[in-house]
Amino acid sequence: MGFKEYMIKKIISRFFVFFIVVSLVFILPRLLPGGAFAYLIENPNIPPETREELIKSFGLDQPLHIQYIRFLHNFFLKGDLGISFRYLKPVTEVIMEALPWSILLVTSSTIISFTIGILLGAYSATKRGRVADSIITNSVMVFRSMPSFWLGLILLLVFGYYLGWFPLYGAYTYGAEYSSFTEYLLDVLYHLTLPLITLVLIQMAGYTLFTRNTMLDVITEDFIVTARAKGLSERKVVYGHALRPVLPPVITVFAINLGFSVGGALIAETVFSYPGVGRLMYEAVYTSDYPLLLGIFVYISAFTLTAITVAEILYGWIDPRIRRG
Amino acid sequence: MSTHALFSIREFLGVLKHSKHGKVGLALLAIPLTMALFADIISPYSPWERTGMPFEPPSIKHPLGTNDIGQDLLSELIYGSRISMLVGFTAAIVTVLIGVIIGLIAGYFGGIIDEILMSITDIILLMPGLPLMILLAAFLGQGYQNIILVISIIAWPGVARIIRAQVLSIKASQYIEAAIAVGASSTRIIFKHILPQVLPLALANIVLRIGGAMIAEASISFLGLGDPTQKSWGMMLYWAQRTGALSYGAWWWIIPPGAMIVISVLGFTQLGYAIEEWLNPKLRGR
Repeated sequence: MGFKEYMIKKIISRFFVFFIVVSLVFILPRLLPGGAFAYLIENPNIPPETREELIKSFGLDQPLHIQYIRFLHNFFLKGDLGISFRYLKPVTEVIMEALPWSILLVTSSTIISFTIGILLGAYSATKRGRVADSIITNSVMVFRSMPSFWLGLILLLVFGYYLGWFPLYGAYTYGAEYSSFTEYLLDVLYHLTLPLITLVLIQMAGYTLFTRNTMLDVITEDFIVTARAKGLSERKVVYGHALRPVLPPVITVFAINLGFSVGGALIAETVFSYPGVGRLMYEAVYTSDYPLLLGIFVYISAFTLTAITVAEILYGWIDPRIRRG
Repeated sequence: MSTHALFSIREFLGVLKHSKHGKVGLALLAIPLTMALFADIISPYSPWERTGMPFEPPSIKHPLGTNDIGQDLLSELIYGSRISMLVGFTAAIVTVLIGVIIGLIAGYFGGIIDEILMSITDIILLMPGLPLMILLAAFLGQGYQNIILVISIIAWPGVARIIRAQVLSIKASQYIEAAIAVGASSTRIIFKHILPQVLPLALANIVLRIGGAMIAEASISFLGLGDPTQKSWGMMLYWAQRTGALSYGAWWWIIPPGAMIVISVLGFTQLGYAIEEWLNPKLRGR
């Protein structure tokens, strides 16, 4: 299969999954008992005009298949996912305000944990059976067993509450006036530190262990024995030869884990009151704002599916053998 | 692996005793298992009764202090082990059960059935797992049974894939071909020849998935979608967060439930590794 054909096939099949996600978001509130619309119709806090507007915006007076077509039409052509019960404005608008913060947190933590994980795993593999290896594998294993929000709480307790080194909440100082952009940037980074450390510590565990174990398989292969026999230094053997075949499977694991690491990041946001999509999701659950909750799921799916597709395409580009599968 | 046609409990315990992972796992699990089994005996109070003032710090009377309505936190921690472990166990078992059924059918029958089942598997695998769990939990409503259901719905595809691969390799072996040639029925081949060989792998998967299920339960509960009538470690952390335990530095409320989750998850993971080593001796000494 050519690269172009492979790429198109991947994009179409991943878009199909996204279509299922959007359809699920249509079906769920109509399928389950006590779902979104009971709340909508019974909620006394919503003024009657708004209620009618909401009912009309969902097209609840129409037959089901018409509702479905309208829903797809509204979403794919206008990006319209309905109106948030709580904010009383379009769901997409509410999510767009929070999205940049989540993307900042998820992307930075993913890149850092991916890089550190691979290097630490490779290092651990070369020190196999020694003290350094056992310290790395054991501590990484402990972090992997932690709920992300709990590690966040502990870091907040120690570095925020007791030591006072870092802020207890937010993504920037509320009400602050900045004299320069650099000052703003520093404030944002200062607030990002603890959530970022939390996510990196938890996410890098999987990459470290996976790289280490894949590396241990590779190290016994012939081409590594040859590289050693040529008299190359151990560092060149490991980082020049052995690491290369390890990367593609690590990228696959990255793609598979992404959905869960994004989820972990979103839950950690609630601990730090970080104004991202996760915090919004928590509020949506808390206030039974179903349109917002469903909309958030659509956007998270779009984000992870895009990332997975990009990873797969990159993988097919690096390693042509994969295109056959 | 095929030599383990049926796994014997005695052999299994023997393996655990001789494996480093097995010993570490059992030692760690001794703590939460003791809590869960003997909660009535070791717990100082009933976790549902108000035995102190609200927000008490640790004291001799209340070693881990009290919560926002004056219930003893140590007693909550001890009783909490029951729901946390129950959800973890049950969700892992249901997950593997669905995964084994789907994996067996897809792998054995192949063709269009395989394609349909594997498409469904892939679609669920590609969706963001934790957000989907939260969404389903929000719609299904609070109740620990629903949490078990939600975790199982999201987690089975991983198991189905592993089992399917195993079934495909068993199916390619000559004695299965021979069984088909002499006219053995599909039911007979599946139950008599394939299932017994898949069971050890299924067992390892149950143990390996308990930890993940416990973390998922804690996350769902922490977001306020847990069962409000039950005490679990996740619910303890939810209440700690909701009543601002952090704002007065209540480490005694925040650290213990999470530490218990870590101990349990680590324990089950180590136990899972021990079983994997038993199934695949090549992994030993890693």
